Amino acid sequence: MPSLAGTAQTGEEEAGWWPEAEPFKIKVVEPIRRTTRAERERLIQEAGYNVFALRSESVFIDLLTDSGTAAMSDSQWAGLMVGDEAYAGSRSFYRLKEAVADVLGFPLVIPTHQGRAAENVLFTTVVRQGDVVPNNMHFDTTRAHLEYRGAVALDLVAPAAYDPVSDLPFKGDIDLGRLEQALADAAAGRIRVPLVLITTTCNSGGGQPVSMANLRAASELCRRHGVPFFLDAARFAENAYFIKLREPGYRERSVREIVREMFSYADGCTMSGKKDCLVNIGGFIALRDPELYRRATVWAVLFEGFPTYGGLAGRDMEAMARGLEEVVDEDYLAYRIGQVAYLGRRLRELGVPIIEPVGGHAVYLDALRLLPGLSREELPGWALSVELYVEGGVRAVEIGTVLAGRDPATGQNRYPALEMVRLAIPRRVYTRQHLDVVAETCRRVHERRGTVRGFTFEHEPPVLRHFTATFRRLG
Amino acid sequence: MRERRQAEPYKIKMVEPIRMTTRSEREAEIEKAGYNTFLLDSDKVYIDLLTDSGTSAMSDNQWAGLMLGDEAYAGSKNWHNLWRAVEEVYGFKYMCPTHQGRGAEHLISQILIKPGDYVPGNMYFTTTREHQERAGGTFMDVVIDEAHDPQCEHPFKGNVDLDKLEALIKRVGPDRIPYVSVAVTVNMAGGQPVSMENLRAVRELCNHYRRSDGRPIRVMFDATRCAENAYFIKEREPGYRDRPIREILREMMSYADGCTMSGKKDCLVNIGGFAATNEREVYEKLTQLVVVFEGMPTYGGLAGRDMEAMARGIYEMVDDDYMAFRIGQVRYLGQQLIDAGVPIVRPVGGHAVFLDARAFLDHVPQSEYPAQALAAALYVDSGVRGMERGNVSAGRDKEGKERFPKLELVRLTIPRRVYTASHMDVVADSVISLYEQRKSIGGLKMVYEPPQLRFFTARFEPVKREGFWAFAEG
Repeated sequence: MPSLAGTAQTGEEEAGWWPEAEPFKIKVVEPIRRTTRAERERLIQEAGYNVFALRSESVFIDLLTDSGTAAMSDSQWAGLMVGDEAYAGSRSFYRLKEAVADVLGFPLVIPTHQGRAAENVLFTTVVRQGDVVPNNMHFDTTRAHLEYRGAVALDLVAPAAYDPVSDLPFKGDIDLGRLEQALADAAAGRIRVPLVLITTTCNSGGGQPVSMANLRAASELCRRHGVPFFLDAARFAENAYFIKLREPGYRERSVREIVREMFSYADGCTMSGKKDCLVNIGGFIALRDPELYRRATVWAVLFEGFPTYGGLAGRDMEAMARGLEEVVDEDYLAYRIGQVAYLGRRLRELGVPIIEPVGGHAVYLDALRLLPGLSREELPGWALSVELYVEGGVRAVEIGTVLAGRDPATGQNRYPALEMVRLAIPRRVYTRQHLDVVAETCRRVHERRGTVRGFTFEHEPPVLRHFTATFRRLG
Repeated sequence: MRERRQAEPYKIKMVEPIRMTTRSEREAEIEKAGYNTFLLDSDKVYIDLLTDSGTSAMSDNQWAGLMLGDEAYAGSKNWHNLWRAVEEVYGFKYMCPTHQGRGAEHLISQILIKPGDYVPGNMYFTTTREHQERAGGTFMDVVIDEAHDPQCEHPFKGNVDLDKLEALIKRVGPDRIPYVSVAVTVNMAGGQPVSMENLRAVRELCNHYRRSDGRPIRVMFDATRCAENAYFIKEREPGYRDRPIREILREMMSYADGCTMSGKKDCLVNIGGFAATNEREVYEKLTQLVVVFEGMPTYGGLAGRDMEAMARGIYEMVDDDYMAFRIGQVRYLGQQLIDAGVPIVRPVGGHAVFLDARAFLDHVPQSEYPAQALAAALYVDSGVRGMERGNVSAGRDKEGKERFPKLELVRLTIPRRVYTASHMDVVADSVISLYEQRKSIGGLKMVYEPPQLRFFTARFEPVKREGFWAFAEG
């Protein structure tokens, strides 16, 4: 496979990798407030040195997540005004159904309030206790849903995904050899595999894309073994754009065509609309099989809502339908992927260590290299997230030791291979100037790395500790 | 003397066009929908009384709130505003948002109910019971007997029968009762309220029977239509006439340990709900489980803007003028039907008028789903969409037998602030005209039955196809 350092990256430059300006103008703004460093020192201390506990008005640039944080277009806001709130048979549902058929090619759709709800409905329908579900990498909520019902979430991503400096173009690819092994085990009756998932792009792996060749081959394997193949499609359009840029034979194809081909290999998908459908709330399951649709609607009714609204306001289905049509716009995607790549390039130029290559929705700082003076026990990722806030009012999320939690058996901290801080870029929200502030903030923290102190827990909740834990700065 | 008419305590700021269809169009549409009004497309409906859930007209203040949505994943301003509204209006200490009411029911059922538990409640509600049973509990109906009699004019037909409740506690022991589930108002009984006296007595009974850990038995409210319930207390219960709804609501909530709320009803929003509790441990479990099924505890599967609209709706729902009009509008429709001799559930409840389909179509046996047939006929007559709340909704018991509930009803649910008195007149005219020709409406047979919550998606055919729509064109 070619390295990005070679042909592919040059190609990306040629393909308009960093467009001159945003392919939209601003129609409505939301004021954000600059704080002084002294204020931020006080605010983060009051928050127990946990950025999750900060009130959003204390944050200048909020890179906590790209989920549900998009700026909708004027057309989507107009869609909110024509939402049909009928409980049954809403017009807005039919708009969504048409958009899903048009863009993704699936005839059947069950709306849900967001992506994890789509997973819950689908898994309740098809997954039983003891089942094994392969995926390139399961996202936290996907894994939680499977484990909640006693199934095993099997990560089969190709090994390069775990190497922070390898710059292969499709680090989200599933390991086909291991997938075939799992399917063979299922065929021999050693395990039960109710479905195979591939997450596009691979979120837990840093927003890394999956190649069309890999999707095609995985689909073929599943078909041969009679196992349904589903996509976790939250960032499908970003993935499609990477295919266009990086995979031989796709340069001249439209993103719409690429998207249709990607989904043609799947029996269905779960979608978190809060990412690539450019909405603040919403998700869905899309399917081909009417029998599976009928079984899934039973659970949708129980957990979400009637199948023609699925726990969403009518207006939100309307906005999601419009967002689905907008996200496959190539100018938009060039800008979107370009913006994230721009931040990555700025950081690289400034000597700030990041995970390579830069993915579709976020830049990941490598905290172990950025704060080399701190030991793992001093929680360098967490310290970095605190310092980014203190330095520039930037909120980002630690993906490291605090997130990983303790081993339930030994009670010891689980130190993951990587200690990262994720700078997730909301869609259409921040300008290049905002990203320059982010890059400069990172540079300054990196520059004063010798003086950055570590952290230890003050209060540590037993479950999901990162959301509500409080910390103490070490002397 | 003629009663003075009252007008809406609001004026119209934004409208949504609706369309009338022809009788032949409607006949074709209902057939296409399998004689199930749930399966009709909304643009084929003229007046949509399917539900009062999520169908409210929001105020300009709520729409403005939508523009102030803070979509931050953590620490959203809107979450703080919602928290404050729940604290100030309901008085609970902890609040966790969910995408709608059944999301909150799911979490509370999973957290509190253990397999083998019993959950007493004042009449079942479809999704509530389903969640309780999935968590391993058995629902036990402890509503007063009057609730099952459509003609009985009891002022608080939603009351808990304290003897039935006490007998259950004595039989199974307090440890097997994770909570007493009290709906205010009781939807399936016809939107019937619970009195303050009864709520207080339930609390005292639950305080008396301690669990082995020394705690009283928990009381959880299904608070979906709690402000409407508060209005009935103001109107009917001695000593409350001069108290504002807001105060009455606070007193009601003081007798509970927590509640689930579907914001889509009394909170006047199109989407949203929450679970509230006074117990720190329950809240901690909520924050853990909500992440799996709904979203982070600070947004619970809602957009920030929707939390803002719900926070604003919570203050609007306890406005005395609004609530007087709301209950008055439902009663206005009910009174016209009563005056014409149409059998409806008495007294008229808070959110809907319920037609008594067994009395209305007394020539159709319950096995032929008279309420389903009546709802279909009403649609064909006037494009008014109601909802079956009878044998189809009740589903099957554990042996697989149909439950044949005592109440076989068609619910004409009035969305909040959406329709005018003129719309109500159209509905009344259609129902009265059908009642005059009731013998021309036949029964239905079920031709597709889904395994759970069958009423949503079941399909039907007329038992006798000839002359099913024999009633004259209105």
